[in-house]
Amino acid sequence: MGDNAHTRWWTDGPVGTIVLDNPPMNVLSDENRRGIREALAEFRDAGARAVVLTGAGERAFCGGADLKEEEELTAETVGKFLKAGDETFRALREYDRPIVAAVNGWAMGGGLVLALWCDVRVGSTRAKLGAVGVKVGLMASNVQLSRLLFESRARDLLLTGRTVEAEEAHRLGLLSSVVAPEALMGEATAWARDIAARPPDLVAALKRAVNTALDPIAAPSRR
Amino acid sequence: MEIVEVAGIRVALVAGACVGPDFERALEVDLRIAGDGARFSTAGVADPVACGVRLARLLGEARAKELILAGRAIDAPGALRLGLVTRVVPESALGDTARALTEQLRALPPLALAAVRDAVRAVRDLTPEAALGREHAHFRRLIATQDHKAAVAAFFERRETAFTGK
Repeated sequence: MGDNAHTRWWTDGPVGTIVLDNPPMNVLSDENRRGIREALAEFRDAGARAVVLTGAGERAFCGGADLKEEEELTAETVGKFLKAGDETFRALREYDRPIVAAVNGWAMGGGLVLALWCDVRVGSTRAKLGAVGVKVGLMASNVQLSRLLFESRARDLLLTGRTVEAEEAHRLGLLSSVVAPEALMGEATAWARDIAARPPDLVAALKRAVNTALDPIAAPSRR
Repeated sequence: MEIVEVAGIRVALVAGACVGPDFERALEVDLRIAGDGARFSTAGVADPVACGVRLARLLGEARAKELILAGRAIDAPGALRLGLVTRVVPESALGDTARALTEQLRALPPLALAAVRDAVRAVRDLTPEAALGREHAHFRRLIATQDHKAAVAAFFERRETAFTGK
């Protein structure tokens, strides 16, 4: 159980929950990045077996980087900015318990990256996904989208920056289920509880195995 | 089939049959959209093995094999289901859809488009760390561009902006 200015987290039985709360669009702040890492460390100590990550309110899961913060980046500070993002995403990816993203609204730019680094994504009918980086002359989520979707569809989303509504995201496999907004946390928690009910060593091994299954390593024994 | 190019991004517009050499050319472009009467087949391609490799990268193993092994033809809804095309519209609307898409691409910052294109192509050949490293190298370059600064300014002022590729 903990919080900071933009993040809240707690455990309920075997499930840890993290809420990004930086209204109105839940843009990803340093407090969020720090909060996610602190929460995961606490969950580990508390013996949590699955995690739900969501955004506060019904408007956004996570609006991505704060463009004002980003605008002030210089050649010297951009490295630190990229590293902070990377550490957060890596913390989710390498955490040995699965993380379920409850996508309650917009997941755009760096917010989409955050959702895509989670292990399972469920969405409300208000979920909207957008790889919008290209629209502001940048790029993000190339690696995740190309791994999750293969190149044809990844290129469609990344080159146009278009909005993918919940129903299409479900069809593409980016969301595993879509429910009414009021049912979203129940749905995400049900996924987390199902995961938590399975043998934790097996679940951890499965997450690791799928994470690395498509890595280009030319060892014949892996083919 | 017609191929249009805007800002270095090539788009295949498929109406009617897309077989043999046309099918191979369609796999080489960045985006594929089709009219509802389009049909696709790998029959008569010059290099079926290269097609198989390309399809696996575009669609994944299962879908690539579904297309290439038995050589069956698929219709436009089938191609959309596989992700071979990412949009299907009535054949009569294909021209308008293509114009809208090329306008959309032309309105985007060209350096970012080129960077996305390069990064996506590379992902399958790299470890996630190396792929992210490449993405970051693009990001560092892009964030210093005039087009990025213009885009952010336009965003805050809620207006459109034209990009220069600088």
